[in-house]
Amino acid sequence: MDPRDRFWRVTAPLGALAVLLTILVVGWSVEPARYQLGYAPEQPIPFSHRVHAGVNRIPCEYCHTNADRSRDATVPPLQTCMNCHQFMKLPDKALQEYIDKAVADRVKSDEPIAWKRVYHMPSYVFFDHRAHVNARVQCQSCHGPVETLDVQTRLMNMRMGRCLACHRDPTPYLPPGSPIKKGPTDCYACHR
Amino acid sequence: MSDRDATDPGPQGISRRRFLSLMAASAAAAATSACGSPDQDTIVPYTKKPADVVPGVANYYASTYQEGRVPYGVLVKAREGRPIHIDGNDEHPIFAGKTSPRAQAEIMGLYDPQRLREPRLGGSPAAWEKAQARVADALKAAARGRRPVLLLTSAVISPSRRDAIAALRRALPGLEHVAWEPALSATERAAADSLYGTAAAPRYRVERAKVLALFEADLLGSMDSAVPAVAGFARGRTPSRPGEPMSRLYAFESRLSLTGSKADVRVPVRPSAAAPLAFATARILRERHGFALPGGLSARDLEPFRPAAVAERWGADPAVLSALARDLARAGRDGLAVAGPSLPEEAHAAAALLNAMIGAEGRTLETDRAVEPGPLASPTEMARLTRELAAGKYAAAVFWETNPSYAVSDADGFNAALDKTPLKVCLGLREDETSRRCDVVLPISHWLESWGDYEAATDLLGLQQPLIRPLYGTKQGEEIVLGWAKELGASVETDPRASLMARWRREVYPAGTLASFEAYWTAAVHDGVLRRDVPARAPRRLRGGAVASAAKKAASARPGSLELLVEPDYKMWDGRYAGNGWLQELPDPVTKVCWGNFLAVSAADARSLGLSDGDVVSVRVGRRGVELPVLVQPGQAPGAVFAALGYGREGDVAAGCGASVYPLVADDGSAPFHRTEIAVSKTGARRPLVRSQTEFDLHGRDVVRVWAPGEYARKAKTPEYAEELATLNDDPRWGDHKWGMAIDLSACVGCAGCQVACQSENNIPVVGPEQVARGRIMHWIRSDVYYVGAPENPRVAHGVMLCQQCDDAPCEPVCPVAASVHSEEGLNEQVYNRCIGVRYCEANCPYSARRFNFFDYTSAIDDPAELAFNPEVSVRPRGVAEKCTFCVQRIRNGEQIAKDHGRPVRDGEIRPACAAACPAEAIVFGDLKDPNSRVSKLARSDRGYKVLHELGTRPAVTYMAELTNPAEEAKI
Repeated sequence: MDPRDRFWRVTAPLGALAVLLTILVVGWSVEPARYQLGYAPEQPIPFSHRVHAGVNRIPCEYCHTNADRSRDATVPPLQTCMNCHQFMKLPDKALQEYIDKAVADRVKSDEPIAWKRVYHMPSYVFFDHRAHVNARVQCQSCHGPVETLDVQTRLMNMRMGRCLACHRDPTPYLPPGSPIKKGPTDCYACHR
Repeated sequence: MSDRDATDPGPQGISRRRFLSLMAASAAAAATSACGSPDQDTIVPYTKKPADVVPGVANYYASTYQEGRVPYGVLVKAREGRPIHIDGNDEHPIFAGKTSPRAQAEIMGLYDPQRLREPRLGGSPAAWEKAQARVADALKAAARGRRPVLLLTSAVISPSRRDAIAALRRALPGLEHVAWEPALSATERAAADSLYGTAAAPRYRVERAKVLALFEADLLGSMDSAVPAVAGFARGRTPSRPGEPMSRLYAFESRLSLTGSKADVRVPVRPSAAAPLAFATARILRERHGFALPGGLSARDLEPFRPAAVAERWGADPAVLSALARDLARAGRDGLAVAGPSLPEEAHAAAALLNAMIGAEGRTLETDRAVEPGPLASPTEMARLTRELAAGKYAAAVFWETNPSYAVSDADGFNAALDKTPLKVCLGLREDETSRRCDVVLPISHWLESWGDYEAATDLLGLQQPLIRPLYGTKQGEEIVLGWAKELGASVETDPRASLMARWRREVYPAGTLASFEAYWTAAVHDGVLRRDVPARAPRRLRGGAVASAAKKAASARPGSLELLVEPDYKMWDGRYAGNGWLQELPDPVTKVCWGNFLAVSAADARSLGLSDGDVVSVRVGRRGVELPVLVQPGQAPGAVFAALGYGREGDVAAGCGASVYPLVADDGSAPFHRTEIAVSKTGARRPLVRSQTEFDLHGRDVVRVWAPGEYARKAKTPEYAEELATLNDDPRWGDHKWGMAIDLSACVGCAGCQVACQSENNIPVVGPEQVARGRIMHWIRSDVYYVGAPENPRVAHGVMLCQQCDDAPCEPVCPVAASVHSEEGLNEQVYNRCIGVRYCEANCPYSARRFNFFDYTSAIDDPAELAFNPEVSVRPRGVAEKCTFCVQRIRNGEQIAKDHGRPVRDGEIRPACAAACPAEAIVFGDLKDPNSRVSKLARSDRGYKVLHELGTRPAVTYMAELTNPAEEAKI
């Protein structure tokens, strides 16, 4: 075979295939963990959003008080739990004992809880909760039906495409009659 | 790459750019995934949330920072309880929301890894009780044996500190308290004392001054009154149309100072010339303009100062003296003469005479609320103290926030004498030359961790409140000293807050106030400053006799051989900031030298001595000498050389940076900072200077415009760059805003406050002297200096350069991965997570506004320095181009707050860090879409121009030409 012919028929296609395969294999296998859906780590306290937000219909912002005034919605201080738990006693005795130990004692001894982070943003993303909450985007639009979950689970696609899809056409996620027709799509809207 | 997201419509087909960006993304992912586990991160909320702390939202607290005799009123920004940024306190009547670059950089001082963390006893860590017991035992023994104990401190302008020392003295009668500030001139105080009978420092009301006659006085730079002076000066320099009056600045100086660089008339003369020239001006004022001399001084005393002869003798133009006298006569009370602190007493007398003749006292010079400072030791008194230490006079010596082992003229002698004292105690913030020689080292809290109060004026008390609990096991100095008093049997409250409150209740809280003390106190803590009703002091009167004897001394002066002028460094001050990387890397505002000091030599002297930049010379006065690299400085007066204090320190950051000039400070009774008959000789060694700017010639381009009034009138009628150049790009369509900036070069003095503010706000790394020498400094905003005209006495043009946020940005089309893109609000965005570091953008930027992170500067920043990071800004990794963003984090926050309140963004509500810090208010930021915003009006100003507009970049930054007011113009 003519050496030039050999290059075009064998070497070049095989080489291109190898490059393509490498990209695909590497890309698929090293997907950052923050993209994994269904990630539900075991938390230090088996707190159930289903019981609190679902069964007892406590509004999200009762606990996540800063969602409308800070970038961070913030996990509530343990003291917030005691707003209710210091007065109410649960019929399930074992559970009540557990809460006394896991929550009430911790508040008394000022011992914080290290919750496992479920939704992880890379350091170059500056997401702002208050912009979304004050535009009246439902928490569930991004976080999924949290009120049905016993274990907090990552239900949101954390890719930028998901952000942009909504920013380009936010209407389905906004209350009817909202004047907002589009979100910012500048890079500096989130990256800085 | 997997892309499971179906909602992203994305571009159809893969473009080359997209392909490359995917490649880059996968490489980045490969690099990060190795260490990425989903369980890596936790959220730890408070168990009991403190009131007013919302994670993610900044809190601001007013406080006070003392440097020398100045208590800066500051406003400190804290996030989640940690201080991250310092600005001026807007409630403060003197500082009005501005502060010095050194005070801003104190954030780094708080998180300095070199801070002392626990007490040390004989060099090894010890418990507080043990260390304190050692001191208490020694003090008790001294009290019993009636032996003297030395307490050496920095200037005491804090009533709480004064009280603590007084309490200790009552318990320990042998206590000898000596306060000293190595960078503050003793001649200035001595002169004020002999001329007026009071050493109180006047407040310069530069905003009222129409004519400024400055003799070696760096009023806008290294003098400690610079911050309000810059603000006041800027106000007189920014006419809005041709023909409006402007102030005029005359500078007679040997070194090219920051102030001299803004002078309308600058006369390079030796420091010795200041007094004769000022006296000659006084003579013209009397003879030609009929101003009376103050009592005690007769016309005969001024007889020796024949203007023509004096001017000729000292190498000045006699016409300048006539013009100055004419302008001072015209300005009358609105004139101001200042003699530089370093000058000998004669010069202070001459300046005081000018002020007295024109009646400036009470108008441009105010002393009616000036605080009478306690005595401060001069270098001569420090030499006496050294002898007493050597004689073994003291049973113990305590050094409180002062570093004599470094900052006395004869440091070796002092350190040897120190060994004769049985117990040396150091109360210090960080390890330094003195603490290393002390038996007991007690770590004190940083001012951002402390309570205190400070006298800014007799009617003005500044409050200091802690922003954070002490990071380490430190105590406040007052608490330690009061603890000793308690040990010695005094009944005192040692808790700093409790004792401060108790004293305020007793002494400050006015009887009969309607508000409760608690409400009064809370309001004062909130404001950070308290105004009190205090009767004004009687105006000081100039003693003519003192002026007459000074005139006699000045009359006999003749130009001799080389003279040396020493001044505190603009950045290091007396050396206390030597461990601060931000300040070490901040270029000197005039010479642009970083990481070291130098000997400034005029071109004429360099020729005759055979010197060039970087040659190491030995500078000797009498027995003492230092070795410094030479800088041949345009504008330096022949016959005079200049060196700055504050370098040659020990420590991780400071080691190897410059040399200490303290050995050249006179301690024999003559003017400490002005030496005559010095000897400069070449050593043959070379130490190249590290400079952030190496080209000082504009090469005929008008990137920095300096206009005389006539030029202004002419150009205002026919603006050169009014019309937009044609462009092939789409007409940009802006969203809700189009952000822009206006920088008034007439107001800007080049003080570099913007640079430190930007560094603090935007997490800008320090790269070190080797990298600066390679041009890899990372500052996003810089002030450039250009010399125009003859190098013997050039006009200095200060430019401020930052990303111009061009509408047609040259950096954008060359980026292969679209990391540099334009936003609909007119910002030129740099997306760090996309950037792959090809640096095409940097090469294509005509403004050199882009920076590249060559090494992993930021990840080398470790605990605790990383606590200084602003959490709203990315900490950029290696291999990424970066640049000014117009503080987009502040823009986003401002827009969000406005949106949350359901109102549009108010003009002036959003201020980038540089604009907020600028004491001259030279930087104005706002929305160019709003025709009524301040920035829009300034962008249309007849002084406005765009730098390199001819390239068609269409910058969003409008510069306003600097105006000068030369003496030929009659109007002031």
